[in-house]
Amino acid sequence: MATKSPKFLFTQGTNRYRAYKFAGFALLTLLILIVAFAYNDTGSITLFDNDYKFSITRVTKSISFMVAILGLQVVAGFTGQLSLGQGFFFGTGAYVSAYLVADQDWAWFTSLLVVIPVCFLIGLLFGIPALRIKGLYLALVTLGMAAVFPSLIKLDFLLDYTGGAAGKQVDSDFIPPSWLPLDGIVDALHTIPLIGQYFGEGEGLSSKEEQRVWTFFLMTILALICFKVVSNLIKSRPGRAMRAIRDNETSAAVNGMSLAFHKTMSFGVASALGGVGGMIYVAELGIASEGDFTQLISILFVVGMVVGGVGTLSGAVLGGLVIAFIPDWASSTQNLPGVPERWLQGPTGGLILGVGLIVVTFVLPGGIIAGVRKIRGRIVQVLPETPALMPGVAGAAPLEPVSAQVSGGLDGGPTTADDD
Amino acid sequence: MSDTNTPSDTTTPTDLVLDVKGLEGGYGQIQVLHGLDFHVADGEIVVILGANGAGKTTTLRAVSGMIPRTGSVKLRGDDISNAKAPDLVRQGVAHVPQGRGTLPELSVEDNLRVGAYIRDDNEIDADIDQWFDVYPVLRERKNQRAGSLSGGEQQMLAVSRALMSRPSLLLLDEPSLGLAPIIVAELFERFAEINKETGTTMLVVEQNAQLALGIGDRGYVLESGEIFTEGPADELINDDAIRKAYLGV
Amino acid sequence: MELFLNRISDGLSNGATYALIAMALVMIFKATTLINFAQGEFAMFGGFIALVLATEQGIPMWGAVFGSMVITAVCAAGIERTLIRPFDPSDHLPLVIITLGLFLGINALAGIIWRFDPRAFPELFPSGNALTYGTATLSWYTVGTLVTIAVVSGGLTLLLNKTKIGLAFRAVSSNLESSELVGIKVGPTLQFGWAIAAAVGTLGVCVFVASPFRQLEPNVMVTGLIFAVSAAALGGLDSLGGAIVGGLAIGLVQSIAVPYLGIPSELSLLAAVVVLMLVLLFKPSGLFGTPQVERV
Repeated sequence: MATKSPKFLFTQGTNRYRAYKFAGFALLTLLILIVAFAYNDTGSITLFDNDYKFSITRVTKSISFMVAILGLQVVAGFTGQLSLGQGFFFGTGAYVSAYLVADQDWAWFTSLLVVIPVCFLIGLLFGIPALRIKGLYLALVTLGMAAVFPSLIKLDFLLDYTGGAAGKQVDSDFIPPSWLPLDGIVDALHTIPLIGQYFGEGEGLSSKEEQRVWTFFLMTILALICFKVVSNLIKSRPGRAMRAIRDNETSAAVNGMSLAFHKTMSFGVASALGGVGGMIYVAELGIASEGDFTQLISILFVVGMVVGGVGTLSGAVLGGLVIAFIPDWASSTQNLPGVPERWLQGPTGGLILGVGLIVVTFVLPGGIIAGVRKIRGRIVQVLPETPALMPGVAGAAPLEPVSAQVSGGLDGGPTTADDD
Repeated sequence: MSDTNTPSDTTTPTDLVLDVKGLEGGYGQIQVLHGLDFHVADGEIVVILGANGAGKTTTLRAVSGMIPRTGSVKLRGDDISNAKAPDLVRQGVAHVPQGRGTLPELSVEDNLRVGAYIRDDNEIDADIDQWFDVYPVLRERKNQRAGSLSGGEQQMLAVSRALMSRPSLLLLDEPSLGLAPIIVAELFERFAEINKETGTTMLVVEQNAQLALGIGDRGYVLESGEIFTEGPADELINDDAIRKAYLGV
Repeated sequence: MELFLNRISDGLSNGATYALIAMALVMIFKATTLINFAQGEFAMFGGFIALVLATEQGIPMWGAVFGSMVITAVCAAGIERTLIRPFDPSDHLPLVIITLGLFLGINALAGIIWRFDPRAFPELFPSGNALTYGTATLSWYTVGTLVTIAVVSGGLTLLLNKTKIGLAFRAVSSNLESSELVGIKVGPTLQFGWAIAAAVGTLGVCVFVASPFRQLEPNVMVTGLIFAVSAAALGGLDSLGGAIVGGLAIGLVQSIAVPYLGIPSELSLLAAVVVLMLVLLFKPSGLFGTPQVERV
């Protein structure tokens, strides 16, 4: 409950609010542009003798994770079925698209025409036993599925399709169209005082750099589409049914919502998104190898979802960033004052994420997003549109930002579409 | 509602095994009890009656510390208002919960043994034997899973288990629930015997007013979380209003 | 025929490890209806501690193993007190998340401390064969693993049935509320459960890697956990005896079904997952569990 009155008050439906939202979008677009051009493999930050590289490829990787976690949010955060098997679909999407692009000469985005339905169907199939196996037991079975994935990839009869243990290499790059004035944009950015220098050195971009930026843009647009789709889904009737099921299955059923339909659908959607994430991952990385798709990645997706914020869209974005960058930064940290070098080698990223997950569950069950919303709630508050029937009641009791709790049924806070 | 004070209890505070004042409690946001005052003197059987939802079980749970409550609860003068359930049995209070609360996977004998958990003397086996004497059925089934016993047998087991801790106060929550009338009648006869022979003070919450008042010394009638009336058992049993409301007469 | 016998011998010794880890899982499940996803990692860490005690402190091998069992038991009790107890026991999901965090963290910690190169683990049982029949051999190792299970099983039975704390543990597993009403302190009883589980798990890993064919490394139990979970589910999640049967069964399925049904060895894990799924779908209480195990 905000005890001080917020600095900015907006009422939904007013022009002022629309301006606020527009400013938000504009800021986001600007941020994306900056990231695209500034992060172009051109430099690093050095802290305490550690080299933290900037690389837009890593950001693109994080986008693949964001989409996968988004899928996990649908099945777990919004419908309350904790799945530890999102990695299975991530991997499936990766291998299917790798095969189509490498062996069948498809374009990456065209491969989605196969990846999405295939993953969706497998997800639906998976949703069926999930109707009877719930909670903890579902988590167990899905973990098993995730663990099995690498073995399936290495099966002999699939060798031609998957490349077995060696992995499936794909040499297909995204060439930006010649009419896109990337060089021109970079030059323009260089002219910005103070920060212009961070947008790469020299004139224009090398072709590799151009490809990376272009890949990044394409994937960002794909991700935005996915997020928009999910956002609409959440606000629609099936979406509300899913959340009702998460909160209380019995009462949802009593209210006439088909549990079977919505639960299996949520698995289907989640798996399809996982597949899309996999495609982004392998498009960026250039190779699909089974070692990337073990139980570990499935668990990392859960970490990302919880640390970001269960049941939220922006939580998926944060989560993706966290699991992409923390292991990266942790392994780049070879020197910390006072810490013997020995302790900084090895999977320090995994340790940080494991500890972080535990800390978040204790301190901030709604994830980082809950913390951010609390702080933002003190500065900005959005009032719902008052119904026309009650003309005199404008500005009634302000909404409390409800913090999400990671608890029975994976309750999530209300999802708002104003993030991503 | 006003309570009708009857001048027949002339107990002094030190005789009171249980002295409760202003007890309030409930489940989360729902307050069920609205300030109860009652007491149980040494060696008495006190009965709490009331219809479904009046708050009888809640009262016992509140006394036992199983739900959050406010008010003063004194056990032989010691304030136990903040005690939690596992501590209470160490103070001499044994609670037989609604539905018996047997440990179904454990054997009958183990159920009795666990009743003596807080004791570390060497008379535990002798006590178990003694309860087998009181309830021979239990001896017959002593190695069977307690969950396989009938309702009545489980109730015998539950009471014996509670008494294994040699409590000075026994709380019984709706012992007749779900049991056939003949079994219940026998059960209550045994309660009265136990009280006479061992002097164990009892606080019994019951819907079956007839039986309960039959063995009780005094009774309280609860309605919507408040004490509606109280008095000696034989007066209550003859009270017309009570008879109409609770005895269906 | 002799090949078949050898396969049975392998299956039994693998199964023995699954049985031990499954017993650890069952201990915690009985008391709390929670599956500790980090059980395998606790056990792996215990294996390393035993190795360190033996190689760096020069303690004889079995002493090192027992020492490690005690250390892991204490650590697990500490973890229960600090990370598990604050949560409402009936609300599984935060606890699942916590155990996942422990899984990640402990695995990473082992990787940081001891790296990922596999290490030979000293033998716990005499090498060589106890029995030979043509080309079929029954190694002392297999005999040793089976004896270990028997000893652990006997020990746990004694512990649970003849001691006061064992009685308290069984009581808490059966009816939490009534246990409190007879004065049992639930928290320390659960700690006891976690401690025993960790010790049994550690023993399981030590026995597993004491084979001349296997080595210890941080990821040794990552897939092993799945086998153990399937074993526990098959036997009945709240049945210690069931865990033994389930473990041995899964071990045998692995070594027999795989070659004879032509299933590629890659898929033995899939077989275990399928078993798990079938059990949870059609008989959630497993072979020997109590039917109310389905406490969703």
